[in-house]
Amino acid sequence: MTGFAELLLSGVMSGLIIGLAGLAVTLVFGIARFSNAATGDTMTLGAYGALLGTTLTGSLIFGGLVGLLAGALAAVLSYVLVFRQLANRSPISSLLASIGLAFFVRAGLGLAFGHNQSVFQLDIVRPIRFLDLRIQPNDLKFAAIALVTLVIVFIILHMTPIGRRMRAVADNPLLARVSGIAPRPVMFTLWAMAGAVSAIAGIILGMKTVVSPEMGWDMLLPAFAAAVLGGIGHPVGAIVGGLVIGVAQELATPFVGFTYKIAVSFIVLLLVLLVRPRGMFGRVEGVR
Amino acid sequence: MLTIENLTGGYGETDILTGINLTLEAGEILTVAGTNGAGKSTLAKAVVGLLPRVNGRVTLSGSDITRIPAEQRARAGIGYVPQTANVFAALTIVENLEVVEGVKDRKQRIVEMFDLFPALNERRRARAGSLSGGERQQLAFARALMTRPDVIVLDEPTAALSPIMADESFRRIRELARTGTAVLLIEQRARQALAISHRGAIMDSGKVALEGQADGLLADQRAAELYLGVGH
Repeated sequence: MTGFAELLLSGVMSGLIIGLAGLAVTLVFGIARFSNAATGDTMTLGAYGALLGTTLTGSLIFGGLVGLLAGALAAVLSYVLVFRQLANRSPISSLLASIGLAFFVRAGLGLAFGHNQSVFQLDIVRPIRFLDLRIQPNDLKFAAIALVTLVIVFIILHMTPIGRRMRAVADNPLLARVSGIAPRPVMFTLWAMAGAVSAIAGIILGMKTVVSPEMGWDMLLPAFAAAVLGGIGHPVGAIVGGLVIGVAQELATPFVGFTYKIAVSFIVLLLVLLVRPRGMFGRVEGVR
Repeated sequence: MLTIENLTGGYGETDILTGINLTLEAGEILTVAGTNGAGKSTLAKAVVGLLPRVNGRVTLSGSDITRIPAEQRARAGIGYVPQTANVFAALTIVENLEVVEGVKDRKQRIVEMFDLFPALNERRRARAGSLSGGERQQLAFARALMTRPDVIVLDEPTAALSPIMADESFRRIRELARTGTAVLLIEQRARQALAISHRGAIMDSGKVALEGQADGLLADQRAAELYLGVGH
């Protein structure tokens, strides 16, 4: 029973990281209308930014902020230099460009930092014992950061004028334009948010495991799966989708082994989509 | 108020509009009628700034707006109600009004819109995607009126409405013009639309085939036979 609960906790932690990456995917898809394959490598960039910031200043908090800003800046630059130029073309063009960008970022990080694994120097702390469960205090902090990130994204989207404009553009881009909404500030905010969220996911993943140039790319498929499972374009759905995938992977590990646990998450994805083709939170809108 | 001079343009290489000339004065209703494919909706898109390729000249109160993007035209005083997808379905009614840019005294204007369309006020927190056709049309009008536009372009506003709701829409359009707003009304129900209009233009194959006073067009035998549908 304790083993099951520990696997569940581990699944929740993996799920939150997958969910944050899925949130970045779903934000971009909802407004820019393509699946951004550079999301994983923006995670990696954020993790390396945080590692560099932490090394230079000795502060994890300052390092985290550096990583977050690096992710946001990289995403805004990718929009300005690449995706804005392709805005009037097919979404396939942007998808292909994002795959190219992902390779470019990964190669750049490999050149700059090498291909050896790096680690954050975190304090070693005694696990908290709750009943028979051992909970890592850092995991609680990471979960809190993930939840705060989700709350901030929710507040921006639903309680601020720029968030309303973002949702309007996501809903109907042409109607948004004839309602006086300029696309540029909306797109800058979107990419900054998506980059920051990706970076946070990368920083948490890097702190929990190791930092390497390939770490984000490996997360891309689960992130896409979380976005689809939750209902593409639905931020809360992406987090819940990530949690379902993370928990399914961890709970399946004793039965199928580490190698095949990713396959289990995609079986869950298939089963959910068979019942709800638009994902768990996806809605059908009547548009006259 | 609004002047369209020698307007040509389309979505790709081919011109859909070929040399349109029209004018619209403050408080005037100009109905643009014609068969399907005549270019009526394309003309509406050209005026509001959504047609990708345009030549000629569009001026609003003397200012050339031909090359100005749609969002700036909206702020400059051109309102637009598209034929379909004319509300933000995922946003609530009140959010549909709050999100409009270029609105002076936004809170007061929202109150005015709810006074004008009381049915919307009752469901202000409902998502626009859940509204009936008539309610949606009211919200589309309210959204377009938020900026107090000088000119409003209505693309087949009665297309999906019952006859009773269509009559109500025509009544509102007439009231709107009385407040000084110029109305460019694209309509399939041409006879009803001309009956509330000052002037009319009938389009055919991307050109204005007939233009004149609305009552003159209604009485015109050729217009009746070719474009308006006798007894329609």
